[in-house]
Amino acid sequence: MATLEIKDLHVEVTDEENQTAKEILKGVNLTMKTGEIHAIMGPNGTGKSTLSQTIMGQPSYHVTQGDILLNGESIVDMPVDERARKGLFLGMQYPAEIQGVTNAEFLRAAVNARRAKDDQISVMDFLKMLDKNLAILDMSEAMTERYLNEGFSGGEKKRNEILQLLMIQPSFALLDEIDSGLDIDALKVVSKGVNAMRGDNFGSMIITHYQRLLNYIVPDVVHIMMGGRIVKTGDASLAKRLEKEGYAGLRDDLDIDVALVDEN
Amino acid sequence: MDTMQTQTQAATAVQTAAQQHNEPSWLINKRLAALDQMADLPMPLVQRFNYRDWDLMPGNLQWADSKRDLAQVADGPVQIVQVGQTTVRVNLPEKLQEQGVVLTDFFTAVKDYPDLVQEAFMTKAMKANENRLASYHTAYLNAGVFLYVPNNVVISEPIDIQLIQDNTLDQPLNSHVLVVAGRNTEVSVSQHLTTVGENANLANCLMEVIADENSHVTVATLDELGRKTLAYVERRAYAADNASVNWAVGFMNEGNTIGNFDTELNGVGSRADAKVIAITDHDQRMGVNTKITNRGKHTNGNILQRGVILEDSELVYNGIGDIIHGAAGSEAEQENRLLMMSSNAHGNANPILLIDENDVMAGHAASVGQVDEQQLYYLMSRGIRRETAERLVIRGFLGAVLSAIPAKAVRSQLVEIIERKLENGR
Repeated sequence: MATLEIKDLHVEVTDEENQTAKEILKGVNLTMKTGEIHAIMGPNGTGKSTLSQTIMGQPSYHVTQGDILLNGESIVDMPVDERARKGLFLGMQYPAEIQGVTNAEFLRAAVNARRAKDDQISVMDFLKMLDKNLAILDMSEAMTERYLNEGFSGGEKKRNEILQLLMIQPSFALLDEIDSGLDIDALKVVSKGVNAMRGDNFGSMIITHYQRLLNYIVPDVVHIMMGGRIVKTGDASLAKRLEKEGYAGLRDDLDIDVALVDEN
Repeated sequence: MDTMQTQTQAATAVQTAAQQHNEPSWLINKRLAALDQMADLPMPLVQRFNYRDWDLMPGNLQWADSKRDLAQVADGPVQIVQVGQTTVRVNLPEKLQEQGVVLTDFFTAVKDYPDLVQEAFMTKAMKANENRLASYHTAYLNAGVFLYVPNNVVISEPIDIQLIQDNTLDQPLNSHVLVVAGRNTEVSVSQHLTTVGENANLANCLMEVIADENSHVTVATLDELGRKTLAYVERRAYAADNASVNWAVGFMNEGNTIGNFDTELNGVGSRADAKVIAITDHDQRMGVNTKITNRGKHTNGNILQRGVILEDSELVYNGIGDIIHGAAGSEAEQENRLLMMSSNAHGNANPILLIDENDVMAGHAASVGQVDEQQLYYLMSRGIRRETAERLVIRGFLGAVLSAIPAKAVRSQLVEIIERKLENGR
């Protein structure tokens, strides 16, 4: 069993234009174990993406206080590739496009990055694994010979993120708005991919605005973030309640003093 | 006057060496005429690149045999291999010989096919009086290859030209590859330039391609001249009506280098495509002009250049699209992009469009930048190490040109060279 612990995490980003630091996360606490699916919900601009990017190690986010522990080991000073090899995965909201590198070539490099130099995956095993996962996601083999994300539609990019998840088999997957821009069919396919990973050796943190995704990937724990903190934690029913009341209603119920970005 | 005297002495020396080499008078006279005008001609213009202190014209014409075993080149079905001035091997299948195809050493061609050579050599694709280095080249020419494809002959097998500069000796390589493709021909040429030996020498390597009506010529090059070679590489083409010339240049020389690639679209409906990839490293300096001139009506020129600059090196790409008055209905596109991999790298991507005709389509794009951090982050977030991620991004950057190289063997060799350079250059 693997664990991911976030302890009193404070994070700043530097505004490139005026070189001022802005605190986004103001003391996040959270513990996840493999075998669990956690959903993080919250209004726009509340720090959900910041949380996932900081856990992964995006260099623009600076941890000013607190710690992130993976299996008891602090990872805040590790570069992003090392965190990935230790078992973290971030399904991105805006995956990069890279011309000239085929999807298959990239996937193989990623799979091999986590394996020892003398234990690289054979072409046969790789293709077998790839075929199986393509089938789960209802993706054509042609997708793997295309350049990485180049010219992919929004839905194709999201599927491709999940394909990577299935190929890399991390301990923890942080999925940042994996449902945005998906129609209902694509949403089902993506959910099927994540559910295929479910088991004792996999945990996931699913970031979403909408409860809809959680009908397909039923979470064990739901956290509500507002103003850079987790303000409430509950089970799957919390998401349903949120769908009914909205964030403003929940905020007023909890008597939290936070301004919502989209509130006039 | 001193210069006068030196001039006369130089002429005498060239004349003596050429006569000793049993050259016909037309060639000797061409050498002498070139020598005579050398001092009055300008050096080739490479914008934003200063090479004034480079010694690109060491003055001597000498004949020397190279050791044949210096050529460690795998045998190819249609191939010519030269080390320095020595031709090691010519493979030309009987079928092609019967069709009248000629593939031979330049000076043998001067003897055996005097009319063909005289008609094409420095007359159409370029002339000796264009600049000082072209004149120098003509005067001091000491090696070369002649390829002739008669009308209506289509050659499916690529023709492999392997030129090995012999730096175990102490002399410049002045090599001329002359390709004459007749009407309705199709031919694909791959040229590989390498160096053996440790001496420091000049390499002045020219290639002329004359593409007659409705011919289709493809040239893929792997230029790998050594670190101690100062190189001037010029490749020129002349395209007649409906002819096409496609260049794919892998400019991987290790020493200071000037590249001048120039195609003249003379005929109606002729087309050219010039793709150039370069990687520079150490304190190397490289300046490249890639030019297509639209002279005929409805001609189409396309330039695509990508370069990676490592360590303390410098790379300048000039893309030149020149549309002459009267070339109505023509198109000229170009893209020049450079990737700088160190803070000490210098780069310049310089699009130059010279348009003297209204009814044309022309466009350009240029950029000089660093590796995209977003792309690196994405790759590394999958566990891929920084070095590997950088290599993938660079490969991707060069990919647009790489994937367009038709000869698979050349392409994979080029990928290997690129990987090696990236491995060493960090």
